[in-house]
Amino acid sequence: MVENAIAATHAVVTLDVALPDVFWGWYVTMNMWAKSIGTGIIFMLFLLLRKNANEANGLRLSTAIVSFVFINIFLLFTLADLHQPFRMWHIFFYPHWTSAITVGAWMASIFLGLLVVLIYLAWKKEDVTYDKVLLWTAVLGIPVTLYTAGLMAESTARELWTMPTESVQMILAATLSGSATMILLGGSKLSDESKKFFGAILGLSALMAFIVYMSEYIFGAMKAEEAAAVLEYIKGDGEYATMFWIGQWVAYILPMILIGLSRVSNSNSLLSLASILAIAGLWVVKHVWLVIPQLLSLS
Amino acid sequence: MQLGFLVDLHLCMGCKGCEIACKVENEVPLSTWRLRVKYVDVGTFPETKRTFTPLRCNHCANAPCERICPVSALHYLDNGIVNIDSERCIGCAGCVMACPYGAIYIDPETQTADKCTYCAHRIASSMMPACVVACPVEANIFGDLDDPKSNISKYIQDSRDVQVRKPEKGTDPHHYYTGASQVNLNPLASQREEGYNLFNKLTHLPLGGHE
Repeated sequence: MVENAIAATHAVVTLDVALPDVFWGWYVTMNMWAKSIGTGIIFMLFLLLRKNANEANGLRLSTAIVSFVFINIFLLFTLADLHQPFRMWHIFFYPHWTSAITVGAWMASIFLGLLVVLIYLAWKKEDVTYDKVLLWTAVLGIPVTLYTAGLMAESTARELWTMPTESVQMILAATLSGSATMILLGGSKLSDESKKFFGAILGLSALMAFIVYMSEYIFGAMKAEEAAAVLEYIKGDGEYATMFWIGQWVAYILPMILIGLSRVSNSNSLLSLASILAIAGLWVVKHVWLVIPQLLSLS
Repeated sequence: MQLGFLVDLHLCMGCKGCEIACKVENEVPLSTWRLRVKYVDVGTFPETKRTFTPLRCNHCANAPCERICPVSALHYLDNGIVNIDSERCIGCAGCVMACPYGAIYIDPETQTADKCTYCAHRIASSMMPACVVACPVEANIFGDLDDPKSNISKYIQDSRDVQVRKPEKGTDPHHYYTGASQVNLNPLASQREEGYNLFNKLTHLPLGGHE
């Protein structure tokens, strides 16, 4: 702005008590990260059933349990982040349907119910019914993954969080972490062909997510003054620049390289390492993107 | 009826009387503010001046906080006020993320969201908001925007420089300013330099964020 760039006007805030603190911190990061894994692995089991149903036989129960655990982690941190957690029931008794939080809470609850059904069916070895329920669970998993993007889009104060970019990133986070978790969970139960298939999903998800982040990084500042100010936190010697690049390398760049090497050398260890890095790095990437818009004063 | 505010910055002298009146009237806890006056210093010595900008909830017609609230704790009153029901609030801080004006805070005592309500409780008793009463120079103009004969409507008709904060957000605020420049209304038009604040090393009560 001219007002602070020109020496003659040199505008400096000398008294203001802007709201302090990052309100959505690592609890919300845990929320998004765990939800990506919980929904992503369901997507991957669904794909495995379409591609090679025989291999899915030994993974129905374990996949449903892993998804159940991570969806519960997501719900636990969502609850813990509330300043009045014992009023959570208000969402169900006083729902406000324009809010992505309300829609998400209802969908996640139904999703969790379907996971319980899947665990029961897998336990009873009722595979035909399981596969039918899995279809609807996977379908519901899409909006469950996307609702946080809706919430970020509704956060009018945060210019950096835009639609449809956040939707794309949420889906890619689910396919990235879901395929990585499936590679680790499947282990020897998966054929080399299936491992390569999930490795390809992991690598492509990493590539596309990286492209989207770099697009924001390079071009985001050219359209909106507020986005430019926020992106300064991850550029140069910005407060979150190091963390941002650690996230990009660990979540995306290194897994892409490792997957390429694993295909050349036919190495399962490299594929597993890529999966672990992608899952860990995703947390860092999500956290940086969550926190930086909150650092900017709104007044 | 559509209640609204207009602040005439030609008149405001930064006495902060409105801030204190608001705090007392609404029992706003330490370290939080429903209304505050921002000071921005402009120019280089000796050609300098200080600007004053009272900041409060803008009571938007298209309020992002109302839209994002999952339990309708934030809701519209018939007179256009965006009110808050702290008994219903679950403290998700969605409204804090959504408000482009940074007007909503988490009350450290009740752990619920809170903000300026244009003193809805006083208006219900046909009284003016506390900040309007306290202002010694009548810089705070409050009234019905739907009534062309109201003081605020006349002010808007007569002024050539009526502005709102962040019009690009599409929130349609019912809070106006006259005599404002970019340094008053745009947070990016002024710098926040370490050591320039009149009160440094401010202590804030913990608000429960999870950094």
